[in-house]
Formats: sequence, structure tokens, C-alpha cells
Amino acid sequence: MAYFLAQSGNALSLGGIYALLALGLAVVYSILGLINFAHGALMTLAGYVLVFAAVLGLPFYLSAPLAILVVMASAVLLERIAFRPVRGASGATMLLTSFAVAVLLQLAFQLFISTRPQVVPLPDFLTATVDLGSFAIGVNRVISVVVAVVVLIALNLFLKRTVLGLAMRAAADDFNVTRLMGIRANRVIATAFALSGLLAAVAAVLWIAQRSSVDPMMGLVPVLKAFIATTLGGLGSLLGAVLGGLLLGAIEIYLAAYLPDAALPFHGAITLGVVILVLVVRPQGLVGASRELGK
Amino acid sequence: MAPMLSATDLHVRYGAIRAVRGVDLAVSEGEIVALLGANGAGKTSTLMALVGLVRPAQGEVRFGGEVISGRDTEDIVTRGMTLVPEGRHVFPSLTVAENLRLGAASRRDREAVVRTRAEILELFPILAERSGQAAGTLSGGQQQQLAIGRALMSAPRLLLLDEPSLGLAPQVVDDIFDLLVRLKQRGLTILIVEQDAVAALDIADRAYVMVNGAIAMQGPAAELRASEQVAHAYLGATMAETHA
Amino acid sequence: MTRLAFSAMLAAGVSLAALGQTAFADDTLLIGAAISKTGWDAPYDSPVMDGLMLAIDEMNANGGIAGKFPVEIETRDNRSDNAQNAIVTQELVDEGVNMMIVTCDSSMVHAGAQIIVGAQIPAISTCSSSPTLPLSGDGYIFANAVTDNVQGAAQAEYAFGQGYRKAYLLRSPDIEYSQMPLYFADAFKKLGGEVVGESLYSLGQPDFSAEVTKIKELQPQPDVIVTSAFEPDFPAFIRQLRGAGVTVPLVAGDGIDSPTTFALGDAVEGVVFTSSGFAEPGSPMAAYQEKYEAKYGKPPESIMDALGYDLAKIIEAAVTQADSVEPAKIRDALANLENVQGATAEISYKGGNGTPTRPVAVIRIEDGKRVLVSRKAPDPAIVPAPNLDLNAAQ
Repeated sequence: MAYFLAQSGNALSLGGIYALLALGLAVVYSILGLINFAHGALMTLAGYVLVFAAVLGLPFYLSAPLAILVVMASAVLLERIAFRPVRGASGATMLLTSFAVAVLLQLAFQLFISTRPQVVPLPDFLTATVDLGSFAIGVNRVISVVVAVVVLIALNLFLKRTVLGLAMRAAADDFNVTRLMGIRANRVIATAFALSGLLAAVAAVLWIAQRSSVDPMMGLVPVLKAFIATTLGGLGSLLGAVLGGLLLGAIEIYLAAYLPDAALPFHGAITLGVVILVLVVRPQGLVGASRELGK
Repeated sequence: MAPMLSATDLHVRYGAIRAVRGVDLAVSEGEIVALLGANGAGKTSTLMALVGLVRPAQGEVRFGGEVISGRDTEDIVTRGMTLVPEGRHVFPSLTVAENLRLGAASRRDREAVVRTRAEILELFPILAERSGQAAGTLSGGQQQQLAIGRALMSAPRLLLLDEPSLGLAPQVVDDIFDLLVRLKQRGLTILIVEQDAVAALDIADRAYVMVNGAIAMQGPAAELRASEQVAHAYLGATMAETHA
Repeated sequence: MTRLAFSAMLAAGVSLAALGQTAFADDTLLIGAAISKTGWDAPYDSPVMDGLMLAIDEMNANGGIAGKFPVEIETRDNRSDNAQNAIVTQELVDEGVNMMIVTCDSSMVHAGAQIIVGAQIPAISTCSSSPTLPLSGDGYIFANAVTDNVQGAAQAEYAFGQGYRKAYLLRSPDIEYSQMPLYFADAFKKLGGEVVGESLYSLGQPDFSAEVTKIKELQPQPDVIVTSAFEPDFPAFIRQLRGAGVTVPLVAGDGIDSPTTFALGDAVEGVVFTSSGFAEPGSPMAAYQEKYEAKYGKPPESIMDALGYDLAKIIEAAVTQADSVEPAKIRDALANLENVQGATAEISYKGGNGTPTRPVAVIRIEDGKRVLVSRKAPDPAIVPAPNLDLNAAQ
């Protein structure tokens, strides 16, 4: 029982960070129908900002907001440079564009920074663990769950209470009619990208707290996990993204905890198998929204 | 006096398709003008071009004396002209109240917005009742009321409506048209696109008939209504069916 | 100057250059390097190339190898991709290189092996520790680093010597290198030890909490945990392991030798790992590291660059011995090299079937610094045979 509880705690904390990642993808997808695979590269960028800020001697409480600001600005810039020209194009066009952006950024990191991992100095509290009796849990994991919940609540308030938030949800429903409300479409989209940048940077800090370094390829795994989680939850639904993240975390942890040894080599395949099974039963994902923001 | 809205030699193209071919039309303050025509005549494209959702390939649109063709929809709406699109297009995942709130997104004067809102809820009591409900769960007629109410929230001087009767029960259609007359009495100028020519001509002051992307005839509504032969020829089955 | 005259001069220049190339071709050693400059494998190849270039510059400053064979390197990026690696390997072969340097990742080398064997050109991997590499290389492909089976044996000797009897393995079936604990298990059992369990992970796995919880539940606790996980998996694992309060000693492979590991503080205190070398004061390694710092303006980040220096010294010795830049002669000389002084160690290939015979340094991390535990070749009797199946797992 204690073992199960411990693994459940693990599942929740891994799911928390997946939820955060998936939210970042969902915010943009719900409005533009664009799966932004450059989201991972934005995380990597956040890591490099932390490295450079440390080199400059900035303390964490300055370097973290700096990383968040730089990544938010970059996300908005990416939209302006790369995604606006293909706005309204077919899903495949936008998908390829986002792949291209991701690869270009990765190459830029390799060429202009280093192919080798750079150590990211993080404050001790992020890498510490809390003892909860039968099991211990990383502080960064507790934070990721808390942050995921806080972000979800804040996002929900933003989307329900502010005109810009309402406009984002409206744009997710019907882009042209939103413009008929006299709302600047570009502002809504820029806001969505800024939000996804914010989520990418926060997730990056938590992700790096786990692995301690950043390298040009760092974003690959998280963006894949986020993609699986959003698909699982229902592409385009924010609530779905969170649920999908939590479910993916649970699937991974419980399989690693309870699969017999002989089946362990197939852990990855079985995980994806379970995901596919869920999608066969619910093709629209858990929540089943298609591009409807924030119900 | 110059008309409130005028279009001169308006052309709309979608690739090789020429949807609108040199339309001239004008709407004066306080009028209800109907834009009639069969399916695919280019009525919706004309409205879209007027409100900036498609860029005219050629021609000029003036609103309140200013050239607005080529401007963004957002700008045009802020200037006091808006469109209730065909098929209503309420934001289904937003509540009724949220839909209305967004309608006033272009306005800064909060107190005025509160007044407008009160007027609209008076016009459409059902919207007050369903205030917290997701718009997607309303009936077709209620959605149409919401779509119009939402458009009115921007306090437009000119309201464009695209097929407000589409898919609605006859009784509901009557209600909607009654409402348009009342809005006119309150000083609103209206340009309405309708397939139900009889209903539209009943409330309109003037009308244009579009055929194949161009204006085929125009005149006072009463005249067009009387000229049954012409109307039958241009409006086809719609007119005949409604008569039957 | 008229355009015609300019073109004529240009043409003359070109033919002169062509002439120059052919004139030098006989005694220039042209090395083709099919390596990763971009992609996931790049962090491993690039430091090796840094150390290699340092040695080659030295040699060329002295008129080339043995004063008469100037060295040229033609580098092609395989972008960490199997197919691209085959393409650039073929390109280099077509350019008539005398020998080749191939990438660190063994699966890529395996994939390009046929081309090299077919062209009968000797090739050395930058830093692959795969013991199976020389098998598919059929006498033409050589390893440079201490191979996995030898590291596994050294880890077993160390662990058994510490009195550990029950070992727990953490490995990933994703690539050959991360299966090193299986060689450890083989050697450890020969010594009389026992493997009490194992966890499997995927490369790039962000979280090890499930595995750590599993280990924490073990009754009794194992004496030692053995892994060849490397960045970013190793830091994530060790941090969560120590964070959960598991204090079981940990033995790792040479892959953890990176700045990130040494930035982990308390989490890696007491971790032991095997390596191709260790910079004892006054050793050739220490002397090399001074040269490195002088050239690049910073101390080496890990041992990888020293392996590059080793590689250059091996090439130098083979060409000197062959007294020729002919591929066949270099290969024969290379296969019979004995006691070549590199940066990290004295290296021999004679009788090794393509794998180097070199001592294994066992290093413990104390206060964030490397401390040498022992430095010797493990008992050949317990060194497991290369297992091609581990490679097939890819």
C-alpha cells in the first residue's frame, strides 16, 4: 500500500510537469490549429538564458524572470516571423513550419552556443527533496504540481474574466467573427504565444531542475511528451491538456512500477500502446474538444 | 446628403472565381435596405467585402464619408458598422453573457456599455434568462437573437445582417423581422441580405437584386414587390414558394 | 588587366594547385573524419576532435609524422544520422583517404562498417567503447576508449574488492553503451557476486521516481547500484536516488565524466566510475592537459579530448611503423602496435582484435573532485567476451 501511494505521488508529480508542457501546446493549438513543435526549443532557450544569466552573476530570482521574459518575447517573435505568414494555411503546412523552426533553433544552439551540455546552476531549494514519511519527493516536483494548478486557475480566471481572455476563447471558436467584435486578431494570437512562452519557460526551469544541464536537443523529449499528453486529453482543450498530462504521467509511472521485469524493455511501446488504446475508445481524447479553448 | 455607406465598382475574387463583379450600392441613414438574390449570387461576398473580412479586388467602400475598403475588420467595426454573419456564429463555448460582453469589446465607455446591455436584455428577455448558459446550447432562434444582440453591443450606426431567417421557424422569423423594424425606429440603419425576398421587402425601404455577382435591378421595396414578373424572374423559386 | 588575361591566370593557378596536390599526395596522410558535428552525438565527437587537432598541429609543426608525412584532415558531418553517416563515409572513401576517423556512437559505425571494410581502409572510432565494433569492422575498425566489457570487469573487480556481493543494475536497452551493466554482471558473477535486480530506462527519460521507489522498497537493500547511464539521465537518476534517501554506493561508466556530474554536489559524493585515464601529477596526462589549456585557453571539461590526443598518437605510431601512408600498411602496423604513449595511458593493439589494451582508471568523486582509486587492467579471466546481441538490441 505504501508502495502504491509512493508511486501515486510520483505519478502525480510527473503528470504535473507534463500538464504544464501540454498546456503550453494547447494554448496555441486551440486558437490557431497549430501544434508548435518549436515549444521544446523555447524551453531550451530558457535553459541557455539561465546559463548566461549565471555567467553574468545574476541571482536566480532575477535570472528566472529574465528567462521567462526572453522566452515570452521570443515566442511572440516566432509567431510574427514564422507562423503569421502561414496562418490559415493547411494543418500540414503549419506543422512543417513548426518542425522547421524547431530544427533551425536547435541548429542555431549547436552552432552558436555549443553541442555540449551546459551546466545550469539552480538554487538548492529547487533540487532538494521533501521527506513524506514512506517516500520522498523532489521539491521541483511539488512545485510543478503546484505551478500547474496555479497556472490552470490563473489561466481560467484570465480566460473568463478579461476581455482579452474571452477574446482568446472566442478566437478559438471562430476567428473571423472575433474580428467582427472589433478585437485585434493579432493581439489575441500574440497573447496566446506569449502565454505559451511563459508556460515553456516555467516548465523549462522545472525540467532542468531535474537534469541539471541544457543542451541543444533538450526540448525534444518534453515537446513529444506534451504532444502525446494534449492528444490524449483532446487536442485544443486546456482542461484536456492538464488531464492528458496527468494521465500520461500516471501511465508511465505505474507501468514502470508494476510491469514484470520481462516486459520492462517494452515499457515505451506499452505506454504508447495504452495511449493508442485510449484514443481508439475516445478518438477525440479525454475531453474531446477540438479547438475549443477553456471550457 | 451623402449616403452613410456606399460601394462603388466593388469586385471580389476568390482565385479564379469572380464572386462580385462591379457592384454599386448605397445605404442612407435611417433606411432598411435589402440585398436580394438567389444562392450564389454574391450577396454574402458583398457583405464580407463591405465589412473587411475579404479584401475587395477592386472598387471602393465608403462609410460615414471615409474610405474603409482595405481597412481591417477590427477598424471598421470600431467605426460603427458591424455584421451579423450567416448561420449566426455565436461563440458556442462562451456563455450568453460572455458573448454579449465581447460584442462591446471595441468600446471604452463602460457606463454606456452597461446602458446598451440593459436595452438589449429588454429587447431580448430570453438572453437575460439564459445569461450563464453556453451559447451553443441555445435554440436556433435564441442564437439569432444573441447574434443580433451581440452585434448591437458594439453600438453600431449601421448593422449588416446576412440571412437572419436561415433555418428558423416561420414564427421566429416574423419576430426577428419585427425586431428589425423596431431597431429602425430607434434610428439604426440596416442592410439585410435575405433569400426570403417577401419578408425582406416587407420591411425594407429599398432593395437591390443581385444576379451572378452584379446588381440586376434596384428600386423602392414596394415597386419591386409589385413587379412580380421581374421578381419572379430574378428571385426564382424563393418568391414563388413564399407566395404559394 | 583584360578579362582574358585574368581567366588565363586563374586557369594556370588552378592547374598549379592541382599539380601541387598530386605532387604531395604520395607522402601526405589524408585522414577522412566521418563524425558528428551536429545532432545528439556531437557532444562526444567534438571534444575528441579538439584533442586530436592539438596533436596533429604538433606533428605538422615538426614536418609531419616522422618528419615526412604531413597530416591533412577532411571532416564531414554525419549529423548524428545513420544514413547520412553512410553517405559521408562513402564520400570520404571516394576521395581516396588513407585512413578514417569514425564517430563515437557504435550503431552509426556499425551501419557504415561495410563501406570501410569494402574499401579496406583502416578506421578508428573517436570514443566508442563498444567491444563489438571491431567484430563488424572485420580487422579494419579499431576502438580507442576502454571497451564496455573491460570497464564492466574493472567495475566488478572494484565492487567485489569493496566487499559488495549484491548488485542492482540500471540499464537502458536503447543503445549498446547503456547496457554496460550486463558486462559488469557477467564479471561480477564470475567473481562470486550476485545481481539482485534491475531497472530499465529509456534514454532521455525525464523522471526516475518509479525506479527509485522500486529500489527503495528492496529488502534487503543491494550493496551496490551499477549503471552506465550518462547525461541527462544520470544526473536525474542520482539526484532522485539520493533525494529519496537511498545511500547505496553507486558505480558508473566513463559516460558520467562531464562537468554536469561534478556540479551535482552532494548527490554524487562517493560515486565511483571507470575511465580511460586520470591526470596524476607529473603524468603524461597532466602534461597534455597543460598543453590543452595553453591552446584553448581553458582547462579540459572531461577526459574526452585526451582520447583525441591518444588517437593522434596511435595514428602517428602506426604510420611511423608502416613508414608509408598506404592504407593496407597502416592497418597492419596499427593491429600490431604495442605500448604507444598517449595522453591517458600506454596503449597496445597487438592481439586485441581491434580493441585497445589499456589500463582502466577507477575514480571516486570526493568533494566534487576526481580521486584515483586504482589504475590497472582487469584480470583477463573475468573480462566478458563481446556480446553482439547487445548491439542487435538497437
